[in-house]
This record gives sequence, C-alpha cells and structure tokens, in this order.
Amino acid sequence: MKTSDKIPPGNPFKVPEKYFEGLNSRIIASTVEVQDKKNKSGLYVRLKPFLAIAASVAVLALLTYTGMILFSPRSESALLSGIPVEEYPETILNEIDILTLEGNLVLTEIPDIEPGINEKEIIDYLVLENIDVNEIQEQL
Amino acid sequence: MRLDHRNPDNDIFDLLETDINKGFRLVVERYSTRLYWHIRRLVILHEDADDALQNTFVNAWRNVSNFRSESSLYTWLYAIATNEALTLINKRTRNYAVSIDDLGSWFANSTEGSTWFDGDEAQIRLQNAIIRLPEKQRIVFNLKYYDDMTYEDMSKILKTSVGALKASYHHAVKKIENILSGI
Repeated sequence: MKTSDKIPPGNPFKVPEKYFEGLNSRIIASTVEVQDKKNKSGLYVRLKPFLAIAASVAVLALLTYTGMILFSPRSESALLSGIPVEEYPETILNEIDILTLEGNLVLTEIPDIEPGINEKEIIDYLVLENIDVNEIQEQL
Repeated sequence: MRLDHRNPDNDIFDLLETDINKGFRLVVERYSTRLYWHIRRLVILHEDADDALQNTFVNAWRNVSNFRSESSLYTWLYAIATNEALTLINKRTRNYAVSIDDLGSWFANSTEGSTWFDGDEAQIRLQNAIIRLPEKQRIVFNLKYYDDMTYEDMSKILKTSVGALKASYHHAVKKIENILSGI
C-alpha cells in the first residue's frame, strides 16, 4: 500500500485457467451477436414509418368504404326496396329521407310521355272513356 | 473524430475511423484485462465479473461510433465498467436482500472454499473491510490503491471533484485501518 503499511498488498482473487486467453474472442463474439440483432431490428426500424403509413391508409380506406355503404342514398333505397312497407318499423321510416325516395321514384318509375299525341286524340280518348270534358274544366 | 496527438489511444482512434471492427478489437485487447480486475474487485465473484465485463464491452460497442477522441477512452471505459459493476451489485442486493451488515458474512460465504479466491488471512480481512465501505469510497479506494489512477481521471469517471475524491480516499484508508486493527 502506498499510504499505509497496515494494509496488506497483493491480489487475492484468481481466475479460471486460461480465462484471459479466450476472453477477447468471447467479448468480440458477444458484440458481433449484438450487431446481428441490431441489423435485424434495424430493418424493422427502417420500415416502421412506411408500415405505419400503409396501415393508416388501409384504415382510412376501410372507414371511407364503410361510410359509403352505410350512408349513401342508393344503399338506403336498395336496402328498403326488398322489404314490404308494412314491415318497416316506425323508427326506420322516420329515418328515411323522403326527398331522396321521391328523387329515385322520379328517375325510375315515371315513364316519359310519349311524343306525338295531339289534342284530337286526347278528346277522342275522353269520349271513348265516357269522361265529361266540362267536368274536368270546372275542376281546373 | 478529431485526433488529439497527446492521447495514448491515438492508434485506436485511427483504426476506429478506418475500420471500426478492427479498432474495437484493439480496444478489447488493450482494456479487457484491467477492466476485468476493476470489476472483479467491486463485485468479488468471478462469474459476476465476467458477466459485467461482457456487458461493459457490449455497451461500449453500441456507443463507440458516438465516442469523441477529445475524451479519454480509458476513463470512458472505466465509467461504463463501474456502472455495470454497480448495476450488478444493486441487482444482487435486491435479489438476495443483502444489507450492509450482512456483507461480511456474504463475502465469507462467497469466498470460503471458492476456487477463485486464494488470499491469506490478512487478505480476507482486507477484502472484508473494503466491502464494508460505502459504495463510492470503495470505488475510490480500489481505483487508487490497485489501479493507481490519478484523481483527475477518477474525477472524470465518477463525476466528482478532485478534492472530494481525495477526502473520500483518506476516509476509506482510515476506516480500513481501523477495521484491520480491530478498532
């Protein structure tokens, strides 16, 4: 001891035989192992932002598609068209957009007026059907 | 990395710049043995020292690319090794609930009949006294007494002022002398 004679010098610890001979190789091997793990996890780390973007886009697309299916007017009328009106629960009927239904009816169910019918043909039709023209005029 | 020509590890820095694997191999070759002994004197058991030494170099390897040569490689590695040794000691203390009062008997049990301890009675008493020192005093005593480290280098490792380290060493020596004298 440099500062006290009361403290005995020397190293009481021992190591296994040839411990230091293989020590450096073992240390290098463990650092190589760490490097390999780092490289493997490095691929995931590099791809992580792209995976996050891809997942976000997929979720967004799914939400958009679901929204279109649930809330599009066409889908409402398509869903309702197969069910008799009597079976519509009141709550469903309250949620139906009447304007949308009317719009669909106008587009799909009212046929175009056939062109080429003149006034004489209309009068002939009324006579044939025994309809009083004066009565119609009064109502108008 | 900027080269400091007064640094004794310049050859290592040169090699780390050109070939990091070869450079690190040189770091291991130069420092593994002395770091082993530093750790061993703190953790006592060979198996623990071996584990802590491996962890020391794994940590060093992870961070060597960020190391700046204006710092000392020697003190940087000693700081990592000291932290690894203390982490292991704290883990052991938690796992086995070893109090400071039980350290003497723990040391006796650990070394009794151990193949890796062949000290005489005086050495056993010395190690028994060292292990009873407060953590920082124990590190300071070991670094000064066994490694003959300067207080300036110690200051970089332990982030403590030179004056405080000198006082710490003085107290450690006094305590050990008292224990050895049976006071």
